[in-house]
Amino acid sequence: MATVTDHDRLARAESRRNADHVSFLKHKRYRWLWIALALAVVSTLGYLFIDQEPRPNGGSWYGYTLGTIGLGLIVWLSLLGLRKRKISEGRWSLKAWTSAHVYLGIALIVVGTLHTGFQIGWNVHTLAYVLMLLVIFSGIYGIYVYAKLPTTLSEGRNQKTRGDMLDEIAVTDRQLDSAAQPLEREQADLVIAALRQDIFHGGVFNRLFNSYPGCKTKRALGGFSEHGEQAEERVYRLLFQRSEQLDQIRRNLRTKALLEVWLFIHIPATIALLAALLAHVISVFYYW
Amino acid sequence: MAFLIRTIATAKSGRKIVRDRTVESDELVVGRSPDSDIHLPDLSVDLTHVGISRAAGGLVNVSALGTLPFELDGQKVEAGTIDPVQGGVVAVGSTLLTVSSGDDDGKIQIVIEQVDKAAATTEPVAGFALASAMPSKRTMAWIGSVAILVLLLSIPVLTHLFRAPVEQDQDNLPHDQVALDSTWSTGELSMAHHELEGSCEACHVTPFVSVQDETCLTCHEDIADHADMPRQAMGMPAMSSGDAIQWSIAETLGKEGPLGCVACHTEHEGPVELEAANQQFCADCHNGLDARLTDVSFGNASDFGEQHPQFRPRIYTAHFADEPVHVSLDDNPVEMSGLIFPHDIHMDDMGGVARMAISLGQYGAPLECSDCHQEWTSEELIIKVSEEGGKPSFYGDFAAVDMEESCEACHSLVSGRVGDSFTSIRHGDVVEAMEDFARVDRGPRRPVVSGRARPGQFARGGTYYSNFGRPMSGYIAVNRAIQPGGLCTECHIPTTSEGRADLTPVNLPNRFLFGGYFTHDAHGEDVAECTDCHAADTSAEATDLLIPTLESCRDCHLGESAVETETIVPSGCAMCHGYHTPTAPWRPEDHPDLPGNGGNDTVAAILGSLRR
Repeated sequence: MATVTDHDRLARAESRRNADHVSFLKHKRYRWLWIALALAVVSTLGYLFIDQEPRPNGGSWYGYTLGTIGLGLIVWLSLLGLRKRKISEGRWSLKAWTSAHVYLGIALIVVGTLHTGFQIGWNVHTLAYVLMLLVIFSGIYGIYVYAKLPTTLSEGRNQKTRGDMLDEIAVTDRQLDSAAQPLEREQADLVIAALRQDIFHGGVFNRLFNSYPGCKTKRALGGFSEHGEQAEERVYRLLFQRSEQLDQIRRNLRTKALLEVWLFIHIPATIALLAALLAHVISVFYYW
Repeated sequence: MAFLIRTIATAKSGRKIVRDRTVESDELVVGRSPDSDIHLPDLSVDLTHVGISRAAGGLVNVSALGTLPFELDGQKVEAGTIDPVQGGVVAVGSTLLTVSSGDDDGKIQIVIEQVDKAAATTEPVAGFALASAMPSKRTMAWIGSVAILVLLLSIPVLTHLFRAPVEQDQDNLPHDQVALDSTWSTGELSMAHHELEGSCEACHVTPFVSVQDETCLTCHEDIADHADMPRQAMGMPAMSSGDAIQWSIAETLGKEGPLGCVACHTEHEGPVELEAANQQFCADCHNGLDARLTDVSFGNASDFGEQHPQFRPRIYTAHFADEPVHVSLDDNPVEMSGLIFPHDIHMDDMGGVARMAISLGQYGAPLECSDCHQEWTSEELIIKVSEEGGKPSFYGDFAAVDMEESCEACHSLVSGRVGDSFTSIRHGDVVEAMEDFARVDRGPRRPVVSGRARPGQFARGGTYYSNFGRPMSGYIAVNRAIQPGGLCTECHIPTTSEGRADLTPVNLPNRFLFGGYFTHDAHGEDVAECTDCHAADTSAEATDLLIPTLESCRDCHLGESAVETETIVPSGCAMCHGYHTPTAPWRPEDHPDLPGNGGNDTVAAILGSLRR
């Protein structure tokens, strides 16, 4: 008997280890994908075959049913933010929870859209719907970039840590500072401007599009000649080097921005969605 | 003369390193150039930036050598003077030069110190995170959700709660009393209710209470119930379980149930016209109604082409009857109108009546239906309605046949001649007619005084002759007229009332079919002849009821789902029946010009039509 128990325990440990390496998307052989798919299909079939008089609408019994399911899903999905801060294992492991979050979230597109009865307008109800879509599609984007971008992120770094990159620039800056000492005022000012500008200068769009029209290092480069006097040439080379180093940092910033930007939509839009849902539900019954 | 230059540097450990040197000169140059007396390796400093020179009276002049100014005791200047006894601070770039009289023998002391650069406040690597370039998620979430809860929830709710309610009145609609509640509207109102746009509180009177019938009836005060409400409830088929659950919840929360106004008249579906209900809407109850309402007098109906009860016109089935009664056309009804009138004789193109009509200038041709049966003129109808009340549609399309207008050309009532004009017997009242008959002077009367003739113009045949004898022949004429074979009995049935000869009263209804609405306008000459539907040309008796049967209507009219051809007209219930106005068309008469329906091309409408 003991051997059987041992065997069982080994097998369990083995499957646990394997499970640890299974993506949340493939969790339990796509269990939540199938559940979500079933929800979407059943909702659609119901919409098509249950006759709603005078027309499909959020206020028919089927509409209320879809609305209630949708509301419950949204509240539950938004609880991931709380759940992920508590770590547990097993049936309700964070991985299972995340898997369900993703697939049920996507199924919510179907449930929510059918709940609208395709009646869209400039009102609080459509606002809630649009926020819901914004949350879901930003989430889908998030899954996509989480799957694709981390490799880009590490490839672009050339084995360097971010600290390394900053240190490199700091070295270049010190060299620039001393190399620029003999320069006249005008060129010295260009170098000062380049050195004083924050390495992380630029907003979210500069980062996302890797476009920095206000880059002082690039501007300083324009004020120097590659073939000037010894000092000028030396400063030019250093500025060029600085510019290259900045490019590397900015490529990293871009990847990181692409990787993180969805959360800046997903989370605030979720909270706004919960507020809009509250307004939606209250207003519908206030003016019943 | 000399300057003592003291340089103070701070080591990493924090220890101060002080180095002194003396420059034997009256003038110092401060700059970035290595040749400067005081060399400041600071890019913001000019190659030769400031000159410091001794002046008369032990003062020190400080002046800019290039274009850039410097700071003297905190003031940005291009030149200045320092009294070394009091001391002064010159700031060049990030360096402070404190000028003062030195400790020993008249040397001017200049102390050089670097201003500490502000330490970086954030961990440098943190700049890589996007968070450093974005407003925080928490901030965005707060702003977004608070804006929504204030603008789209709190403001409408509060302005609704604290408004001054207005008396319900369609001429005095409350407008925009509730701020921002237009953001709650799920869609535009129907065409008929367009004026209520922006007056949400006119219908949504009480928070969390659904729109009540009572509110609808404030304006629609004349609308009638389709039938007695409890009977309607009994007549409804069982609901689907989904509907049943919804209604049980809704009714618990104060909604007025599936027979309330808003159950059918949904709003906020866009600027559409009120549409006639489809056949299924009626059939839901009227198909199999007899099983739920066992005492109804009419049969089930679900499709005009397949299941519809026979017409049951309201006619007088007996002479002297007070009220007409419903009789199914299947029961071979006999109409006892009190008249004798063979349609066939009058309509025979080759008969005597036709010859007579041809000879009369008034007709000049064989009789046609319209010679006797004429549609109401609008003036006539207005008079009729004002005298007898009701809706115009109650009086049908055709005016009552007028004997003097339609019959008298042949059936003359002329009783005598006075000068150039004729006298005639008054028609319509037996007493009046008898009075007129009594005046008829035809046969000779016995003279009052015999043996003597009156003279001149007073003699018989003279202008002033008067016969004062008993009008025996007049009495005879009266009696003859209302007796069988007499003048009146050509068309009327003689009878006796209170011992006297009399005529049976004429009982002809204005309108025969009351459960639905029919207009001859839609069945004009291009559609059918009168005799296609009314078998008048073969009717020999006035007791024949010439109302066409259901079957004859079905020659053209089949149910809503019938395929339209040149002769077949798909006909839903609403073509003949109104819901609230069974004897009138469903479209209200006071809105005949309602524009057409709005777009029917929404995804839901298309899906809906596909399903049907």
